[in-house]
Amino acid sequence: MTISEFKDELDLSEEAEETEETEEAEEKKGKRRLFDETGKRLLKEIWPLRGWILLAACICLLLIGCAIAEPELLGKLIDKLYDWTKDPAPGLARSLLPGLGILLAVYAAEGLMTYGKFYLLTNIVSRFFCAGFRIRISEKLRRLPVSFVDKTPAGDVIDRMMDDVGNMSDSIFIVVDILLSGLLQMLVIAVILFLTDWRMAIPVVLLAPLSVFLSTRMAALGEKHWDKHWDLGGKLTSLAEESFTNYPTTKAFCREEEIQKKYDALSQRHQRRGILGRFLSSIVQPVIATVNALAYIAVTVVGGWLILNRGVAIGTVVTIILFARRLSSPLERVAFGLGYVQQIKGAAKRVFKLLDTPEEEDPAGTVEGPTQGHVVFEHVDFSYDPDKPLIRDLSLEVQPGQKVAIVGPTGAGKTTIVNLLMRFYDIQGGRVLIDGQDASTLSRAENRRLFAMVLQDTWLFKGTVAENVAYGSPGVSRDEIERVCDQAYCDHFIRRLPQGYDTVISEDSTAVSSGQKQLLTIARAMLAGRPLLILDEATSNVDTRTELLIQKAMDRLMGGRTCFVIAHRLSTIVDADLILVLRDGQIVEQGTHKTLLAQKGFYYELFQSQYAI
Amino acid sequence: MRKLLIYLKPYKGKIALATLLMAISAVCDLLLPTLMSSVLDKGVYGAAEGNTFPYILKIAGLMLATSLVSLAAVAGGFWMVFHVVAGYTWSLRSALFRKVHTMTLEEVGRQGASNLVTRASHDVGTLNWVISALCGEILIIPMMFLGALFLCMRKDFRLSLVILCAVPLLIGAGLLMSKKIEQLWEVSDDYCDKQNDLVRERLRGVRVIRAFNREQYAHERVTDATKVMADNIIRANVRMELIDPAAAFVLNTAALLVVFLGGVRMERGSGLTAGDIFAMIQYINIILGAIVSVSYDIVLLPHVRVAVRRLRQITESKGLEDERPAEGLRFSGAIDLDRASFTYPGSSLPALADVDLHIRAGEWVSVIGGTGSGKTTLAELLLAFRLPTEGSLRFDGRNSVDISNKDIRANISCSLQKSMLYSGTVAENLRMGKPDATDEELWAALELAQVADFIREQPKGLNFKLEQAGTNVSGGQKQRLAIARAILKEAPIYIFDDSFSALDFLTEAKVRKALNEKLAGRTRIVITQRVVSAMHCDRIFVLADGALAGVGTHAELLESCSIYREIFLSQTGGGLA
Repeated sequence: MTISEFKDELDLSEEAEETEETEEAEEKKGKRRLFDETGKRLLKEIWPLRGWILLAACICLLLIGCAIAEPELLGKLIDKLYDWTKDPAPGLARSLLPGLGILLAVYAAEGLMTYGKFYLLTNIVSRFFCAGFRIRISEKLRRLPVSFVDKTPAGDVIDRMMDDVGNMSDSIFIVVDILLSGLLQMLVIAVILFLTDWRMAIPVVLLAPLSVFLSTRMAALGEKHWDKHWDLGGKLTSLAEESFTNYPTTKAFCREEEIQKKYDALSQRHQRRGILGRFLSSIVQPVIATVNALAYIAVTVVGGWLILNRGVAIGTVVTIILFARRLSSPLERVAFGLGYVQQIKGAAKRVFKLLDTPEEEDPAGTVEGPTQGHVVFEHVDFSYDPDKPLIRDLSLEVQPGQKVAIVGPTGAGKTTIVNLLMRFYDIQGGRVLIDGQDASTLSRAENRRLFAMVLQDTWLFKGTVAENVAYGSPGVSRDEIERVCDQAYCDHFIRRLPQGYDTVISEDSTAVSSGQKQLLTIARAMLAGRPLLILDEATSNVDTRTELLIQKAMDRLMGGRTCFVIAHRLSTIVDADLILVLRDGQIVEQGTHKTLLAQKGFYYELFQSQYAI
Repeated sequence: MRKLLIYLKPYKGKIALATLLMAISAVCDLLLPTLMSSVLDKGVYGAAEGNTFPYILKIAGLMLATSLVSLAAVAGGFWMVFHVVAGYTWSLRSALFRKVHTMTLEEVGRQGASNLVTRASHDVGTLNWVISALCGEILIIPMMFLGALFLCMRKDFRLSLVILCAVPLLIGAGLLMSKKIEQLWEVSDDYCDKQNDLVRERLRGVRVIRAFNREQYAHERVTDATKVMADNIIRANVRMELIDPAAAFVLNTAALLVVFLGGVRMERGSGLTAGDIFAMIQYINIILGAIVSVSYDIVLLPHVRVAVRRLRQITESKGLEDERPAEGLRFSGAIDLDRASFTYPGSSLPALADVDLHIRAGEWVSVIGGTGSGKTTLAELLLAFRLPTEGSLRFDGRNSVDISNKDIRANISCSLQKSMLYSGTVAENLRMGKPDATDEELWAALELAQVADFIREQPKGLNFKLEQAGTNVSGGQKQRLAIARAILKEAPIYIFDDSFSALDFLTEAKVRKALNEKLAGRTRIVITQRVVSAMHCDRIFVLADGALAGVGTHAELLESCSIYREIFLSQTGGGLA
């Protein structure tokens, strides 16, 4: 094997670069307090569920009662055995029976209640809290501006909706099942200890906070390494993804060794963090157990001394010793819960941030009367990035029924016109008038109802072919769908699909080719029957015959409507009523194909470039 | 599994040491209840008879020492274990990664890149977890379990039978349950995936959805999936949580039986003491803990089996990629494909059939054809990613199978269909083909590819950081950067596979002009769907359905080749025929 050895020691020079990042992140997090903004808000979110939670908390209390009664009862039984040793009388086994019966009942009750509490919490958490948040996020998505969706990777939104909400919902478990019940249990035990004998209670009560402190410190320390470990893990996966998907390029440039080295080095850093993180979180439990053993030892010594010198009853000491042992599990739980709360708050913060994203404003105006399709841009300004103005002072007028072609090099702002017409983005200056009505006074839905749209990026949802075609006009009859599909040259290939119109297709489905997908989107737009039309034409990756069909279908779709055609290939728009030549967001020329060619300007240059050497 | 465990070999010593330390800690943990019971028995209860305080102190000291030793041993053990785990995981990842690069394109394609990634990250992660569990928990728990059982038996063999009866009962029930739970988890995972897909679909289609006012419908689809998922999660969770209280109840009942039967035996005078019974109850608690931990591990076992099987598919795949070292050959640029065919494994129709293609050194040629015409397969043949299934490929008359892949690829510079950029700076990406290129050379290449202005606009210039898959630049910029990278590499042969598709005609014309000036005299092969990209080449090869449909200049082909004419007409509308 030609594998170089894994190096254990932490190389500090390599880590220097990392620590910088970590510190920065630490600063961002600010002071870690339990009830900061996020903590309070999380509590507020939990508040409506208080009835259920109270019920769960009551069960917790009963469970604590069981937890306290059990050692007590068991202690009494053991006492009987000890007493018998001193004074052997017949009927020992029989005398044990009542106590055993009670204990058995307590154990059974404890089991049932534990399960019941869990059942209750799972239902609250999953059904109301988790699903509730997911539905709220989904609801939020309806009102978020397109710009948000464009800027945010889908994976980010999904992570928040799934993982973060999942982690957040753990907060209920943590709060009720772990923190609340743990603290209550500790409190009750402490009170009982003090009531039984305060002198023996002191070492126990002193050592408990120590173990909580130690374990939370360690958990926090471990968490820092864990964070880094996960972070590096993500990078490692990305690197693998990149190298595997780029396999041909890597090989073509003979870069295998370089990439292997990079991967191994990153993997090593990843694992080193893992060692520290794992180690720290693994020894939390043994440390608590040890501190607890210390308490136990202290109680035994103090108890022994008290029996001998102060005449305290043996039974009292035994009870306290047994209680001291009982302290370890709530301690572990509280320590775990406190450490976990930070993670939950991290997740909650991300979810809240998504829910707080500003929504787009939506006026309530409606369109009056039938639409002619007269569109005017008056001194429109727009840019995606305030530092880089794109469209400045754009004015144009389109008569009803005209075919307007928008041409220009990539990045000139052609698709931006679509974004503005459909109000996916809002203009920042000037006005857009549709039949004389200011578009910005219309509700977005009303505005969009005027347009049918066929985009370069065909989008089909997972559903049957018929459902997809009828996407813009729900409730339409099957006959109507088939008629339109026939007009859009889809019918012949749809009928050849395994289930015809009921074949389930989706974006990634290979049952239909990309050209056929384009035809389906044309049928979809046709069926929607809107007065205006936007075509973002793209014919790459389509075979020549399908391309011809698409062209014919598009021509049919355009008939009589005001159309905006984003043209990538100039040959298809020579017959347009108006050609707008865009360059860096400005209309540099406009006119018909003939007049523009005659001008010998930028359009001419563009047109010629198709044939230039 | 064994094959995957060989990576543990270098850590044998450490594993042994870790085991020893864990064992010490386990013994200490088992000793504690014994000490506790004797301090209770003889110390506390004995206090009635005389001064047992010195005895209590002595045992307390012993207990203190035991718990400290246990802590130290367990800490040392974990430290060792996690080093072993880290080293193991690292070696396994490294080996997997290396393996992928010894696979041919065919093998990589069959596995699927995303599959390979899942294996390198997720499946290795699962094994990582198993190994840490193996060395940590799984090592200690049986020790604790058996130790506790042994100690119980030593105290009183017959009483221990109670525990022996309870344990298999619990384990059996746990196994049965875990199977059911696993199914439920699978179902809810499915729904989880479904919901993810729905959200992804919705975000991708935001424009269409809004254009057709179907946000409400999209929202309802997601909501329905959410509700179904919640139901499933609840069902799985609720079952899973049955394990804990059930196990506790069974073992607690066993403890009560021990008390009762212990009482009976004491009465009969078997020599059993109250302290013994107390100790046994403590042992039962230890056994309970062990069983609960194991039951959680068992639930995860099926995942391990899956992970191991999937990892083996990679580690045991052949890795047929040619590993011969480069000899430093230098080609002139003449390429001959002699009646070459290529059929994908499992396919009945050839992707390339009987293609005879002869390119002279320094010639500028184009291969044009629609999707599925075999263009990309041709590029892959030239780059030695695939071998012709029939016929042969020759460089300078020498059969390609006699030349190492490394030599072939060193002589070809290419920009491939999906412009593959790497995360890292622009400079790093460009230098891939020429590691010692100066900044001036980089700028010159960017200039030729018409992307220098864009890079100049970036505050960091050549150090502008590209995201993975180049998501922070547009498709056109990606292509131009890939072209710049290809130009920078010195080679007698240049292949541009669909490299201009995202460029507008004006930009493409400029790039083409620059390329021809810079690369004059080298063999240039432009593979394209666009007639504009092909029409000015010295010769054009027309591919249709894997066969050569025509060869010649633009003018010749317009005359002689109907397929070429069809492509030309559909793309230009016959505008300048």
